[in-house]
Amino acid sequence: MTESAPQSAPAALPAGVRDVLPVEAEELRAVEGSLRERFALHGYREVMTPVIELASVLERAQEGPAAPAYRLFDDRGRVLTLRPDLTIPAARLVATRMAERTGPVRVFYVARAFRPPPAGRPRPAEERQAGIELVGPSGPDADAEVIALLVDALTAAGLEGVRIGVADVSLTAAVLGALGVGAPAAGRLRGALAARNFVAWRRGVATLGLAEDEARLLADLPTLRGGVDVLSRVEEAVPEAAAACARLARALELAGGRDGGADVGVDLGVLRDWPYYSGVVFEAYAPGVSEPVAVGGRYDGLGARFGTDRAAVGFAIGLELLHRSLAQRSRPDGPRRGVVLVGGLGPEADTARSLRAAGIPVAATGDDPVDADAAADEDDWRYVVRRDGPGFSVRDRRSGERFSCGRPEEVLPSRP
Amino acid sequence: MDALAAAGLDVGPLRAAGRRLVVSAADGTTYVTTRPSDVPTYVESGAADLGIVGKDVLHERRPDVYELVDLGFGGCRMVYATVAGEDPTPGVLEHLGTVRVATKYPVCATEHFLSTGREAEVIKVNGSVELAPLAGLADGIVDLVATGRTLRENGLVEREPIFESSARLIANRVSHKLRAGEIDALSGRLERAVGAAR
Repeated sequence: MTESAPQSAPAALPAGVRDVLPVEAEELRAVEGSLRERFALHGYREVMTPVIELASVLERAQEGPAAPAYRLFDDRGRVLTLRPDLTIPAARLVATRMAERTGPVRVFYVARAFRPPPAGRPRPAEERQAGIELVGPSGPDADAEVIALLVDALTAAGLEGVRIGVADVSLTAAVLGALGVGAPAAGRLRGALAARNFVAWRRGVATLGLAEDEARLLADLPTLRGGVDVLSRVEEAVPEAAAACARLARALELAGGRDGGADVGVDLGVLRDWPYYSGVVFEAYAPGVSEPVAVGGRYDGLGARFGTDRAAVGFAIGLELLHRSLAQRSRPDGPRRGVVLVGGLGPEADTARSLRAAGIPVAATGDDPVDADAAADEDDWRYVVRRDGPGFSVRDRRSGERFSCGRPEEVLPSRP
Repeated sequence: MDALAAAGLDVGPLRAAGRRLVVSAADGTTYVTTRPSDVPTYVESGAADLGIVGKDVLHERRPDVYELVDLGFGGCRMVYATVAGEDPTPGVLEHLGTVRVATKYPVCATEHFLSTGREAEVIKVNGSVELAPLAGLADGIVDLVATGRTLRENGLVEREPIFESSARLIANRVSHKLRAGEIDALSGRLERAVGAAR
């Protein structure tokens, strides 16, 4: 050991990142696994994009100032970005590497995005996301497919009480256009909505000089929530928005038709922060987490920025948020299936092999004196198995029983 | 509290809370009492579904919550003030480039000077801001004033209004969706209640 390094200082991590220990990692992987399976069953195939990209390429997707991201230089002085989200890299991949495909392109990803936490706010800098992109079809069927898949995936992961709010940025734009709201005023209203500030929204509406019933509709617009019937109010007041209303109603009807029980409804207050959304936008809310567990929408103009102009719709699920909501409801109780096998590295190696072949994890000990019971306690394995004459003695930490058996690999797999 | 009562909530237990910080009413409402600057924290994290807090705190903290209703009461203004007599600010800026501003609201103060094209050195203090220019800690202060009496008594004069503040009803992002019906109904009743009071 060197004498110069101060070993007493805590080995801290950068702000916003953390380690994941075995129990959580296992649970996160289980959630990931069930999402992967559902995506695959709906015909989506996995893609992987690099963690770093050229900033000049990713920033094509953005308007205005560069979004918060970790940036660094490569050996030639070019600015690289640690991907701040996965929608843009996935759109880039599909637009460049799968440009020649004519049919619908269905891809999914399970990966991590990185965004520096804002000053003074303890937010994670690293987020695990699982998402899909459906590229090609532009109709309400595609919107519905994606919303139904989101419901299916969240339900399969074990989430209960999920609610999905759906809006359409083209509907809001049609209403503003029909009421003659100019670009500067519309920009201010959009800003109020993005800040979730309904007080500023209503004040902005009040300064537009609209007729009373038009002003009331516009003031209420971001709080319109419920079944498709709330759209009829918009349609009656603003006939120019009828097409957008009909499209959204159709998408919701199809999404609901494909998957019963879930609570999928209109919520015209949903507004995604990224400016690239062009049509339907939606968020999924789950009990016990303070942010949407999934967000998504249609971004038909995004592919063109990377050279292939195709319609696209997709979503991303926040894995940590989903896991948090799931973990609050159900925690597996009792020790995990697995054996600490005394002598498994030496004389009992054959038994270790047989147990593993039977699908039971085995933590084997060797000749070193190890307290097998303490080891089982620490890692929470269910069984401690020791050689005992011709057979083995087994201690079951779940039931507290001790018993003898000849061949543990035949007895343990069938125990309740 | 009167507004909550007028909106049909059972505020009896809240009035009788004494020093208890969490009280539950018979109508199923649970009231949590915190210092104003902590209200957005509780609501943003979802520990509370709804909160009532001044716009000044929202300006300063920028929480990611829904701002639903301007409740109208608790009205006051965020202002920039300096000692009476000639405003020292232009001179200080001309000769020194930077004006020193003491405040409990560093975000609001920084933004105000940035948006008016001036450089400010913002000094965070935790109380009795009026003292700072008198003792020579700062050239001016950014603070919340209701009547302006404290400013006057300390020989300070309001120079620039920054924004008007009043109490706001805020909602957690997810509660606003998962409990949409209840929250819409309550915010509607509160809006009517404060509208009638005005």
